[in-house]
Amino acid sequence: MSRNNGMDRRQMLKLAGLSAAGLGLTAAGCGSGGSGSSGGTVTIRHSWWGADDRAKKVQQCVALFEKKHPKIKVKTDFQQYPDFWKKFNTQAAGGNAPDVIQNAVTFLRKYEAKNVLLDLHPQVEKGNLSLDGFRSGLEKFAEVDGKLLGVPVGSNSMALVIDERVYEKAGIAPEIGWTWDDWYAGLQKIKNGQKIAGDAGPHGVMYLYDLILRQNGKAFFTEDGMGFGETELLPYWTEALERVKSGVYADPKKVEQIKPASATAKGLSAGEFTWDNFSVRYSAEGKSSYGLAPIPSTDGKKTGQYLGSLMLSGTARTKHPAEVATFIGFMTHDPAVARIMGYDRGVPATTAQFEAYQPTDAPSKAIAAYESAIAGAGILEPITPHPAGADVIEAAFLRISADLSLGKASPKDSVKQFFSEAKTALASN
Amino acid sequence: MTHIQTSPGALAPGDDRAADKRNGPAGAAPPAGPKGPGSRENLAGYLFMSPWIAGFLFLIAGPMVFSLYLSFTEYNLFEAPRWIGLQNFTDMFADPRWRQSVKVTSWYVLIGTPVKLAAALAVAMLLAQKRWGQSFYRAAFYAPSLIGASVSAAIVWRALFSDDALVDRTQKVFGVEVGGWIGDPGVIIYALIALTVWQFGAPMVIFLAGLKQVPRELYEAAEVDGAGRWRRFFHITLPMISPVLFFNVLLETIHSFQIFGSAYIVSNGSCGPADATLVYTCYLYEQGFVNSRMGFASAMGWLLLVAVGLVTAVLFWSQKRWVHYEEGGR
Repeated sequence: MSRNNGMDRRQMLKLAGLSAAGLGLTAAGCGSGGSGSSGGTVTIRHSWWGADDRAKKVQQCVALFEKKHPKIKVKTDFQQYPDFWKKFNTQAAGGNAPDVIQNAVTFLRKYEAKNVLLDLHPQVEKGNLSLDGFRSGLEKFAEVDGKLLGVPVGSNSMALVIDERVYEKAGIAPEIGWTWDDWYAGLQKIKNGQKIAGDAGPHGVMYLYDLILRQNGKAFFTEDGMGFGETELLPYWTEALERVKSGVYADPKKVEQIKPASATAKGLSAGEFTWDNFSVRYSAEGKSSYGLAPIPSTDGKKTGQYLGSLMLSGTARTKHPAEVATFIGFMTHDPAVARIMGYDRGVPATTAQFEAYQPTDAPSKAIAAYESAIAGAGILEPITPHPAGADVIEAAFLRISADLSLGKASPKDSVKQFFSEAKTALASN
Repeated sequence: MTHIQTSPGALAPGDDRAADKRNGPAGAAPPAGPKGPGSRENLAGYLFMSPWIAGFLFLIAGPMVFSLYLSFTEYNLFEAPRWIGLQNFTDMFADPRWRQSVKVTSWYVLIGTPVKLAAALAVAMLLAQKRWGQSFYRAAFYAPSLIGASVSAAIVWRALFSDDALVDRTQKVFGVEVGGWIGDPGVIIYALIALTVWQFGAPMVIFLAGLKQVPRELYEAAEVDGAGRWRRFFHITLPMISPVLFFNVLLETIHSFQIFGSAYIVSNGSCGPADATLVYTCYLYEQGFVNSRMGFASAMGWLLLVAVGLVTAVLFWSQKRWVHYEEGGR
């Protein structure tokens, strides 16, 4: 064994330098955010949620945008819906949020309270973003406390997706003006006649319960809290559990296992309540033909419906608000974008885009017909932006109602648990 | 055979390396002047270690201290942490979902770990015997552990145990109608346990090594004395491999407490249905990253650390009673 296994000073210094450089590199790697400008070209980051199909379409739009605006580059990134918000939350907290994000009403107040979203009004005033030509009721869609926190890219509304073959066989033809009693009588007829559940079980769908509450003069949320109490929810969930047990609503164990596929598309139920633009996926997932039926009401008139929408928002810490506004403007106004995106994010929000895309496939045609019908019936109401914490509350509503269906908790305990979690969510967000 | 070293290589009093020991990280004064060869070696050592030390300080120790502080605060990532003392901990005990997560995790550890170790030992004993194609079998049984931690294995598992999938159909052949394990809150945890048991490769390899160390003569002598298969197992094999068994029990128990990926993916990110796969880390993750309650999540993390520490301490304490080391082998 050699005694002199040490190294000389020069070697040591080299090594020290190397390790210091290594650390420096790591640090630099952490710091680089990706958005910046070089040589007059500005790079902005855009992220959204969705599946591969939407990714391809967005990518096409971005390519077109970069061609028209050669000085702006757009870096894109996408995840599934729940993963998207986990990632965004962390990025935003670290001050490294993407410049433009896809957004929804549930998250407006949450991120407004945390100063994460960019007020687009100044950009409108500077002429970088136009608010002209939006379809009625959509231009001030994302205005919270006088700030414009987003611009809608499409509109959608709640609907009942039905398996048309099953409904036809049962001789049920839903029309605007039908009531909850009509709907429920139909479900029983389907169950008795064709031995399949009439509905997937609507009691966990927050947006539907919101409509039911609105039909009765309340709402799921007020601007800063809950718009209903245990006295409303307890009878609703008690009744739901009975319907699950009697088989009018689909077997929750089976519904759980086919996720993320939908129960109706997989033949577990004859229908389910969801957003009208989701109906496109049913034809892809299932073997039957699927249509849209109107929301039932209590009195045959008021459905409580409003236009919901996906929107694009800028983030407050962006270094390039003008470019962000330009990109959002392009995505909402350019007719070519509508021809690429179709009804993927709902019916286009501006008339220019609405007119540019004429659907040729049956599901999209059905969505167009459905939205025209509800707009024509004059039943649409304004939407209230949800309070901070609404996203957590929506998830709790869905989860606890599923526990209830699976027989893990009584309606009374479930309702108690829901309000306890809602309280925590409102307090900590 | 190892080479027996003579005086130049051996550690003798006055040798530099003995001096190194005295001149350890505690910072005692160097014995032979500041420029002695020992201190230079130390410096080189620290320089070599510096990336690791920096990584440890900035990526492990720092965040840990910060998370300890956070566990006494309410912190939603955006606003400054607000000191609330022990409230996160009291909230935790009052939270039925937290209690459910403790229940699920304990169940998983208590059932999964022993079954996994029993499977590992059983297969190790089979593979310890000389037979044709031995190396193939060893590789084949070890393989699931290599891919086991991956997302793909959990996805396959979800597909296998779903309604009308392979497991469900096989059951139906035997007249058992469960309708898939994934959607049934009473059964899904066993699908997770089956997944962990299936990944017994790592403890198996360690058992194999242990089994190889048991002297053949003991078995021969016992056989001559008329001891049967089971007697030989309980009176020779088990005591002789008890240190290895202890090691495996310790490692697998700690590992089981940290289960996350498989529960998250098999349940499709819901840790359900009906919170049936709500393992501790899953709830911690949900509180931290979905509900933005980082203070609460930190408190949960620290409680898990304490719990795992306690279990480890109990295991170490218990080894006096059942772990046999060879004379002087301690």
